[in-house]
Amino acid sequence: MIFAAVAPVLIILVAFPLLFVVLQAIFPDIARGIFANPFSRFVETLFDKHLIAWTLNTLMLGGSVVLVSALVAVPLGILRGLFRVPFAGLWDVVFLVPFTIPPYIAALGWIMALQPRGYLEQITGINFGGFLFSFWGVVFVMTLNVFPVVYFAISRMVSSIGGRYLEAARVAGCPPMRSFWRITLPLTTPAIAASLLLVFAMSIEEFGTPAALAARSGFLVLVTGIEQRLSDYPIDLPGASLLSVILVVIAMGAFVLQHRIVSRRDFQTVSGKPGASRPAELGVWRIPVVIFFAIIGFLGAVMPILSVVLTASTRTISGGLSADNFSTENFAEIFANSGGAMEALGTSLSLGLGAAVITGILGTMTAYVVVRQRTVSSRILDFLTLMPNTIPGVVVAVGLILAWNQPWLPVTPYNTIGVLVLAYCCLLLPYPVRYANAALRQVSVSLEDAARVAGAGGIKVFFRILMPLIFPSILAAMLLVFAVAARELVATILLAPIGTKTVALFIWRQFEQGSVGMGMAMSVMAIAITMTIPVAVAIWARKQGRLF
Amino acid sequence: MKSLKTVLLAGFACLALTGNAMAQSVTVYTAGPGGLIEKLAAGFKDETGIDVNVFQATTGKVMARLEAESANPVADVVISASWKTATSFAKKDMLLDYTSDNAKTVPDFLKGPGYVAQGISALAIAWNPKSGTPKPADWSDLTKPEYKDLITMPDPAQSGSAYELTAALAAQPDLGWKLFEGLAENKMIVPGANAQALNPVLQGAKAVVFGAVDYIGLAQAAKGESIEVVFPTSGTVIAPRPMMILKTSSHQDEAKKFIDYVLSDAGQAMVAKTQLMPARSDVKADRPLIADLKILEVDPKTDRKAVLDRFAKTFGME
Repeated sequence: MIFAAVAPVLIILVAFPLLFVVLQAIFPDIARGIFANPFSRFVETLFDKHLIAWTLNTLMLGGSVVLVSALVAVPLGILRGLFRVPFAGLWDVVFLVPFTIPPYIAALGWIMALQPRGYLEQITGINFGGFLFSFWGVVFVMTLNVFPVVYFAISRMVSSIGGRYLEAARVAGCPPMRSFWRITLPLTTPAIAASLLLVFAMSIEEFGTPAALAARSGFLVLVTGIEQRLSDYPIDLPGASLLSVILVVIAMGAFVLQHRIVSRRDFQTVSGKPGASRPAELGVWRIPVVIFFAIIGFLGAVMPILSVVLTASTRTISGGLSADNFSTENFAEIFANSGGAMEALGTSLSLGLGAAVITGILGTMTAYVVVRQRTVSSRILDFLTLMPNTIPGVVVAVGLILAWNQPWLPVTPYNTIGVLVLAYCCLLLPYPVRYANAALRQVSVSLEDAARVAGAGGIKVFFRILMPLIFPSILAAMLLVFAVAARELVATILLAPIGTKTVALFIWRQFEQGSVGMGMAMSVMAIAITMTIPVAVAIWARKQGRLF
Repeated sequence: MKSLKTVLLAGFACLALTGNAMAQSVTVYTAGPGGLIEKLAAGFKDETGIDVNVFQATTGKVMARLEAESANPVADVVISASWKTATSFAKKDMLLDYTSDNAKTVPDFLKGPGYVAQGISALAIAWNPKSGTPKPADWSDLTKPEYKDLITMPDPAQSGSAYELTAALAAQPDLGWKLFEGLAENKMIVPGANAQALNPVLQGAKAVVFGAVDYIGLAQAAKGESIEVVFPTSGTVIAPRPMMILKTSSHQDEAKKFIDYVLSDAGQAMVAKTQLMPARSDVKADRPLIADLKILEVDPKTDRKAVLDRFAKTFGME
C-alpha cells in the first residue's frame, strides 16, 4: 500500500537522474541522445594509474572519519540521551551549527585560523599549519563537519529506549558499567550503524575539505579526480560519472555491512505504552561532562565561526588583526546590496524548509516500507535512497540535467526553482530515511497489531501510533536537511535556474571576485538566520517536555 | 498518498509554465567575474530593452552544464575563460559565424570565425610586500633560497591558464623543466584553484603566487590588500576570454546585439574597470596592456597530459 505510493516518487526523484549518471558513464555521447561507442572511455578511466591510489585514499579517509566521529559522537549522544546534561538544549543547538556552515567555508575558516600567520598565530604566536594540511588535519575538519549526524541519531534513540531497561538491570543487581555495555550499547546499534553509514557516505563524496586541505600534501581521493575532470576544458563527463559509480560500489559495501549488523538481531524496545523516560543525574560527573561537551562545541561550532567573523570584520586580509583594520564595511555592503542578499536568503530558507518537509514525509514512508516489508524490492529501495549521498553533488547535478532537460518531456522543472527542490530532496533523502529506519526498528509490531485489532486503518496507525513514537528522530533529521539545503553549493552551482540567487551562490560569487570578506559577512548572516529555526524548534520542544 | 504525488506534479507543472517565456531576452553562460556580467547585463538592458538571463560559474562548470544540456540547448551566448573552448567549438561547427562591426580594432589573433575576445588576462607573479622577501622580477628569481617555503601556484590540472603557463615555460630553452625542479626544491605548494593559491599569500603564510591571474591581483591591490602584481621579464602567457554565439540559439539577433554591446565603448570600459585588458586595442586602461608585455605562445602540438603528468611528478602530487 505505502510501497505503491513511495516507489513511483522515489523512481522519479532518485532513480531517474541516477540512471543517467550510469548511462553517461557507459555512453560518452548520451548528452546528445546518442547511444554510440558504449564503454569506449572505460579503458582510459579505469586504467588511470592514479585510480588505485585514489580509491585506497578514499577508503582510508572515509574509514578514519567514521572512526573519529564514533569516538567523539557516540559518548556525547549516549550522555545526552541517558543523563540530565546541564544546558542540554544549548548543546543540541550548538551541534547543529557545523551543518549550517558550508564545508568550503569551514575549511577556509580553519585555514585562516591555523595556517602560519593565521589568526591563531597573530593572537598567540603558535600555528598548526603542519597538522591542518595533513591527512589527520582533513580527518579532523571533516569529523567536526559531520559528527552531529551521529550525535543526534544516538541521543534521540537512547532517550526513546529510556531508562526502563537499565532500571530492570539495576534491580537484578547488574553494575552500571556492565549494563551499559550489555544493554544500552547493543540496543543503540541501529542508530550507531545507520548514522556512521551516513558519515561514511558523506566523507567519501565531500569535495570541499580534501580539495582545500589535502591537495597540497599530495593526498588525492576519488572526488579530487572527479572534480579535476569537471574543472577545466575539455571536461570529461563520462570519466566523472564512471568514478562516481566506483564511489557507489564502495558505499554499497558499507551499506551491506551495516545491513548485516542491524538485521542480526531484534532491537524492538518499544512494545507498550512508552513510559516517560526520566534522565538520570550525573552527580560528580557533571563538571567533566560539561567540559567534554564544551570542548567539542568550541571546536565544531565556535572556532570556525570565529574565524569567519574575524575575516568578515577586517578590511583586508593582509592587514590582519590590527586595530585600524577592523571595520564593518563588509556588513554595510551586504546591507547596501540588501536586495540581492535578502532575496538570496529568502530563496535559501524556502528551499531548506521545502526540502525538509518533503524528505521528512517521504523518508519516513520509505523507512516504514523497508523495515516492515523485508522484501528484495524494499531492500533495493533502501539502497536507492542512500545512493545520492555517495555520489558527489556535482555529478548528481549532471544526472539531473541530463534527465530533466530531455526534449521529449512534456513538462519539466528544469530551469525553474523546482529543479533545486528536486535536487535537494534527492541529495538529502538519506538523512530522514536512515534516522526513521533506525527509529522504526525499535518499535514493536505488536503496537500496530493492537491498533488494527482495535479497528484503526493503516493510515491512522501510522499517524496516531508510529509517528508520535519516532517523531523526535525524524524532526532531528529534518533539521539537518533544512540546514544543509539552505547552504548547498556544489550541485546548486551547476543546476541553478538562470537568474536564481541562493545564499551559497551569493557567497561563492563574492569569493570568485576576491571579496573574501564580503562572502564571509554573508556567511555570518546566513548562519545566524538559519539557526533561528533550530533554536525555535528547541524552545518549542522544551515546552513540550521532550527532546526535539 | 496518491494526493501527494498529484500535488508535486501539479507544482512542477506550474513552475514549468512560469519558465523563461520572455520574448525579448538573451541567455548568457559566462565564466566569472560575476560583477562584470551584472554591469554588462544592466547596461545592455538600458540601451536595448532586452533582458539578459545570466548563468555564471567557473569555465569547467559552464562547460559541464552546456555539455549536459546538449540534447536541448538553452544558452545563446557563451563567454569562457579558456581560448581553447572557442577554437574547439568552431571546429565542431557549433558556432554562429558573426563578426561584430565593433570588432574592427580587436587584433586578428583575438578573433576567429564565430568568436571574439571580451577581454584578456595575463598570468603574473603576485608578491606580498609585507613578506620580508625581495621583490621578484622574473620567474627564475623564485628558485632562489630567499623564497624557500614561501611560494604557491594554482594547479595546472584545475586551471587552464596555469596549464598554459607551465607548457609555455617548460618549452623555453633557458627555463624548461629545470625551473620547475628548482621550484620543487624550494618547496612550492600547489593548493588548488586560483583563489586557493592567493589566500595564503594575502594572509602572509606564503609570500608569492607563481602564475596568479593578473586582474584578480590588481583588483585586490586596488582594494587595499598588500599585494603587488609583477609581470616577469622573460614573458608570460595571456588568457583571452572568448565570446561566442551558439548555432542552436533561438535568439540570434539579440545575441548579436549583446556581442556588439560588450565590444562597444561602454562595454569595453566596463571590462577595463575590472582590471582585465580590453579586447579592443583602441580602448584605454590603467594597467599594462598586450603591447607592454612579452607574450609566450604554447605550441599547439603540446601533449597536455604529458605536461600535467610531469608537473604532478615534479611536485610529488602523484
